[in-house]
Amino acid sequence: MSEVIVITSGKGGVGKTTSTANIGTGLALAGKKVVLVDTDIGLRNLDVVLGLENRIVYDIVDVVEGFCRVKQALIKDKRYDGLYLLPAAQTREKTAVNPKQMIKLCNELREEFDYIIIDCPAGIEQGFKNAIAGADKAIVVTTPEVSAVRDADRIIGLLESNELRNPKLVVNRVRMDMVKRGDMMSIDDIIDILAIDLIGVVPDDEKIVVSTNRGEPAVTDNKSLAGQAYRNITRRILGEQVPIMDLQSEEGFVFKLRKLFGLKSS
Amino acid sequence: MEESGITFKATANGLILIMKEEEDFEAILEQISKKLSAAGKFFKGASLDVKYRGKILSEAQEKLIIELMEKKTGAKIKSLQLDTTEPEQVEVAHTDSIPSMHKVKKLFFKGIDEGITKFYRGTVRSGQLISFDGNVIVIGDVNPGGEIEATGNIIVMGSLRGIVHAGADGNKEAIVAALNLQPTQLRIADIITRSPDEEETRNVLVPEMAFVKDDMVYIERFLPQYK
Repeated sequence: MSEVIVITSGKGGVGKTTSTANIGTGLALAGKKVVLVDTDIGLRNLDVVLGLENRIVYDIVDVVEGFCRVKQALIKDKRYDGLYLLPAAQTREKTAVNPKQMIKLCNELREEFDYIIIDCPAGIEQGFKNAIAGADKAIVVTTPEVSAVRDADRIIGLLESNELRNPKLVVNRVRMDMVKRGDMMSIDDIIDILAIDLIGVVPDDEKIVVSTNRGEPAVTDNKSLAGQAYRNITRRILGEQVPIMDLQSEEGFVFKLRKLFGLKSS
Repeated sequence: MEESGITFKATANGLILIMKEEEDFEAILEQISKKLSAAGKFFKGASLDVKYRGKILSEAQEKLIIELMEKKTGAKIKSLQLDTTEPEQVEVAHTDSIPSMHKVKKLFFKGIDEGITKFYRGTVRSGQLISFDGNVIVIGDVNPGGEIEATGNIIVMGSLRGIVHAGADGNKEAIVAALNLQPTQLRIADIITRSPDEEETRNVLVPEMAFVKDDMVYIERFLPQYK
């Protein structure tokens, strides 16, 4: 049975596209047939993050307008078996697609793919409405900041009123050192307000910047903590019970030494 | 939905133009123009007596309105006068006033001891508005950005972190109570208040109730405290 998952947030810049790329790649590495759909028409980024931008010939608007077939627009990622991208248009606007067309497109994709991951644009207007139209499930991404949580709350309300119940939460760009100091909201604070199930916590990681620039999702990097977090999220989507990573363990040698001697950390 | 600053009412004797007192004159002219453009041709060739209320207009302003209306409707405006008859019906009294020369009876919701109540289950999220002519009980939280408006009391069986307006039609006896009373803004009748600035977010639930006494909002715990 195919699943259409939309990754949304409300607030911009919290990590939807990064999450889409990494979760999608993770699922493909687990042997599934995955298509990533970029619905951020006019401001497309998913192709850049995946490193596939110079292979785009047709895009999602061409498909819904009937200018080409879906297969012609899909870009197969040569590095990972089973991973495909349906890019957005860069020269059009979000009004070029409507929810009905999205539902038809998703139904067509269901026949071929195990997972259809939709990268939703920021906001609550036409772009958002298009992205959620064909979705079965939703993942809400937020960062531990008051403004992001506020917007995530709004989005969850809108998802619920559009019959997309029980969205799952990904908290991105967590900095455990700041949480410990009390300078950053904790995961519990966020869940207290948003009241939805947590599916993953991704730490703030420099390697994300590097991987985006290179077009190689961090989920393939064994040394990246964020990559590890995304691998865990992928496993949870596939039904495995994976405990939330202990993010406090990324300390230096001295910390480990002190722990060894039973000394409390500062 | 955009609330208009003006309304036209048609009566057997002509038209009544009702204006909101706080709208400025430019905005009123604009809205008259818009409304009449949509429906104006209906009056073409007619001869109208127009009365107005809600705002006091100077002679120059009256002249401008007559001109605008004649231009937009093609009707002849026989007269434009301040309406001195008592209005026969009051809509839900907004706290924005109609000038006191009109005696308006404020009939607000009286059922705050025993009255019709809406029960809402679940969290009220940011951007959601619960509005009810009666009491409201939320079995869940009210998140920041969420709004509850009731003509009666508002009770939240959870954390209240949004905006609440109890006694919305003017009843100062209405109360707001919550298991964790931390609204961004709290209003009872026409009194608006917010939490003191030094208050931090709490981790324990502190059940509190807000009520009005002598036109000021007081907040008290409503459960006995044990050591």
